[in-house]
Amino acid sequence: MDKWEYSESIESDSIVSIQSKYGHFIDGKFSTPNSKKYLKTVSPSTEEVLASISIGNKNDVDSAVNSAKEGLKTWSKTAPSERAKYLYKLARLIQERSREFAVLESMDGGKPIKESRDFDLPQVAANFFYFAGWADKLDISWGTKEMKPYGVVGQIIPWNFPLLMLAWKVAPALATGNTVVLKPAETTPLTALLFAELCEEIGLPKGVFNLVTGDGTTGSELVNHEGISKIAFTGSTSVGKYIQNAVGERDIGLTLELGGKAANIVYNDAALDQAVEGVVNGIFFNQGHVCCAGSRLLLQEDIHDEFINKLEKRMQTLRVGNPLDKNTDIGAINSKEQLEKITSLVNEGVNDGGELFQIECDLPSSGYWFRPSLFTNVQPSYNIAREEIFGPVLTTLTFRTPEEAVEIANNTEYGLSAGVWTEKGSKILWTADRLDAGVIWANTFNKFDPSSPFGGYKESGFGREGGRHGLLSYLKVQS
Amino acid sequence: MTEIKKTYKNYVDGKYVRSESGKTYTIDLKSESYELPLTSKKDLRDAVTSSKKGFDSWKGLSQYNKTQIIYRLSEMLEGNRDSYVDLLLEHGLTKSTANKDIDNAINTLVWYAGLADKWEQLTGNLNPVDGEFFNISHQEPLGIVFTLNSDEVSIDKLVRSFLPALSTGCSVINLSEKNAVLSLKLAEDVNNSDIPAGTLNLLSGDFSKVYDDVSRHVEINAFASYKKLNKEILKTINENASTSVKRIFHLPSEDGLSSILPFIETKTVWHPKGR
Repeated sequence: MDKWEYSESIESDSIVSIQSKYGHFIDGKFSTPNSKKYLKTVSPSTEEVLASISIGNKNDVDSAVNSAKEGLKTWSKTAPSERAKYLYKLARLIQERSREFAVLESMDGGKPIKESRDFDLPQVAANFFYFAGWADKLDISWGTKEMKPYGVVGQIIPWNFPLLMLAWKVAPALATGNTVVLKPAETTPLTALLFAELCEEIGLPKGVFNLVTGDGTTGSELVNHEGISKIAFTGSTSVGKYIQNAVGERDIGLTLELGGKAANIVYNDAALDQAVEGVVNGIFFNQGHVCCAGSRLLLQEDIHDEFINKLEKRMQTLRVGNPLDKNTDIGAINSKEQLEKITSLVNEGVNDGGELFQIECDLPSSGYWFRPSLFTNVQPSYNIAREEIFGPVLTTLTFRTPEEAVEIANNTEYGLSAGVWTEKGSKILWTADRLDAGVIWANTFNKFDPSSPFGGYKESGFGREGGRHGLLSYLKVQS
Repeated sequence: MTEIKKTYKNYVDGKYVRSESGKTYTIDLKSESYELPLTSKKDLRDAVTSSKKGFDSWKGLSQYNKTQIIYRLSEMLEGNRDSYVDLLLEHGLTKSTANKDIDNAINTLVWYAGLADKWEQLTGNLNPVDGEFFNISHQEPLGIVFTLNSDEVSIDKLVRSFLPALSTGCSVINLSEKNAVLSLKLAEDVNNSDIPAGTLNLLSGDFSKVYDDVSRHVEINAFASYKKLNKEILKTINENASTSVKRIFHLPSEDGLSSILPFIETKTVWHPKGR
């Protein structure tokens, strides 16, 4: 199919200023790390080194936790309505500097600017606005006054939506009166560091928000630190299991938002063109680096050929390339390591006997890239149908009856999200009732809102983020 | 005439059963000693198998029906209150404490009976999302829950160790240790209350003999302990639970809406609005 050529429309990166080296944000200011080890954060679209980031060690984590403990003294005496105002101020400031954040996010993480600009940043600001308003309404949120903040919360976030995951964690934690030690992902720390600058700028009391950069070793120090009363983690199921294991004898709070292998069920009475759009958005949004991605397409057998034909045509129109180009649909794969993982799983799928379709397109000569991919002729036992690929790879399975669709959809350890496409309302409700998933998108996919709870069933974790339910992740029942 | 002493057995799948191991342990009350089943790993597995079936049966009933069944259990306790008071006296409670305890237990049952068809309204809501979408969060029971009763001699504490999970639609395997006579006595009323077989399994024994299996069993979705656990046991439980991301609740709330929150999953459904 012919594709119209677009002229490049590159968002300028002159708006961001990146320092060559960063310390941690502790006690209300940036400080020199105790650790002498650094890692380089690179742009996955150019492989250019953007900055050096400290790999926080035990002493750095100690300082941050102690700062958060001190911060708790101030924060717990701050009137809830005043806590709210700090969060409102942060929301406003994020809106004002939204373009800067969006460009930085796309540079550090590789996501298309149209997503960081039109999705991530508006959602970040909206989360701070939403949770700000809860700060002085906690006593009426669940009809009980017996719930109190945990205290010092350790938060570990992933690289797929760096600043948005920060917002999902930090906004509710602060609104409910906790103080925070946050560790951003090692490949995408820059927007979190810029966020710390905003905290300084609005005069957030010292110690209320602390940031320690680093890798898995830093995360492990945080998870095992005796001074924290609650851990909130978003990331892979394997690391989630490590964290639950590490909690051990400690009686602390834990919420886990882990992996997924969501089924996107398309019934034969669906509006097919809409469903094609939804399926494309479901898997190719953010290069498929989405824990709730609709990575298993479940097609009713009689529409398989027609649907796949439409889907391949639509996929071919996706534009892969420079994340800062406003026309780009698919940006860079976040890291070399992730690219290798995706490549290896896809090769395995081909060897298993899956039929692979990849779009034809030129890929930039440097950086990490993967063509949008679709597997058909797949058996449910193949790894590509079971494992979370976390990339732009869609796997197709077929079913004959609604019962079978539900059975296949639920036949996984995961239970984060699912999609249902049909024009019949009763079938949507029947299916939604039977799917083991925390979020179900019917005739839509990958929609998010601060007021809408997000989180999984089964091995996709426990606890919810967002909405009134999200408050419960940061409040414990006083016995 | 020789008095006939009652034999207490585990209550699993709607039947009274001995431990397959044949092992028992002794609970000494004031005038008599009782030999109770010492629940084994195999007994636990049987209870889980039964609980799976019990979960489906319980889920198949309307909330209105569940309300009536739990209320029916309170009626059974009321009808047999004298025998409960006698048994509590046997445990060493004073008459007034025993009477108060059975009153409390009945009131607790009535409270949770009334909650069974209301908790969804108290915990779910529409979410005011941006854009043209209908978005609702509602709740579903977690599945099969294993609960450990406290060692307090109290029918009220006993019922509070399974009602929060049961009233939301979970099936419950409940283990009592030192006060298991009370639990296995209650099993008789549970059996007469129309609670489906397998929905509530009541076991006696020593938790230290089964906690490893309880926390490892992938078909048990959650574990809640109403008894304070020592650090060593808690550590093993968390470690085992992590292999299947099992939900662990140590000393959860025993009353009010907060008591049921551990046992429900939030499901959020989106749909566009349009013409």
